[in-house]
Amino acid sequence: MLRASLARASASLGLMLLGACAAPRPAVADVGLRAVRSDRAPAAIGPYSPGIVSGGFLFLSGQIALDPATGALVSGDAAAQTRRALENLRAVLAAAGCRPEHVVKTTVFLLDMDDFAAMNEVYGAFFAPHKPARSTVQVARLPKDARVEIECVARIPR
Amino acid sequence: MQAVHSAQAPAAIGPYSQGIVSGDLLFTSGQVALDPASGALVPGGVKEQTARVMENLRAVLAAAGCKPEHVLKTTVFLLDMNDFAAMNEIYGAFFAPHKPARSTVQVARLPKDARVEIECVARIPA
Repeated sequence: MLRASLARASASLGLMLLGACAAPRPAVADVGLRAVRSDRAPAAIGPYSPGIVSGGFLFLSGQIALDPATGALVSGDAAAQTRRALENLRAVLAAAGCRPEHVVKTTVFLLDMDDFAAMNEVYGAFFAPHKPARSTVQVARLPKDARVEIECVARIPR
Repeated sequence: MQAVHSAQAPAAIGPYSQGIVSGDLLFTSGQVALDPASGALVPGGVKEQTARVMENLRAVLAAAGCKPEHVLKTTVFLLDMNDFAAMNEIYGAFFAPHKPARSTVQVARLPKDARVEIECVARIPA
């Protein structure tokens, strides 16, 4: 929360791209863009930020069911993985002052479209009664051989 | 809403714009590793393809007044998830020290049988 509030303060000053390091990067000050992260979401497994805030919107990287503590994929079926992926998204949302009800659009990448109903059950309960716009596709493979990956865009409340 | 075009990026191979500007956001189409001059896929493996894709994106970004550091979010479509590390190496160096939000998936097939396709959303500087 401290990090998030510091980052918000930074944003209001136009000092951007506050990541793990607090050094402002004036080069992007003109676009008002900053990275957000959360200790309650897994560390990135590549050169990306868990979230980027700009212009009142939060763009979240796709989350798979990595345990934030271990960095390993949680055991379990599509429902269990969907739950963990959504909790990871919740942590990144919170780091930017958002809740699930502020999510505008999601994309769900499934390893197997036969998991559609199981994913929907967990996903629907997570957002209910809100229903963000959404696209769902089956892909050939996901990072860490996960069964589901979910990304979203959220509007930051004023 | 305004379409953007760069001669330094490959011509579209279908009914899409290289990028669309709306408000202060730029939405780019997915780029595969087409040589802007020949329109053919560049030779080499995933590293060579990723490098070409990034340069194609740079050209479209520039046509809207953006630089790589203005990119908010990307989506990486890989033909083979085993290319994840090699793609990351080129991709990370292109954006460093910036790290846009990103999702990566392996798909069944890409246009022109490319190994990698990348799209992005960028914020246009004031």
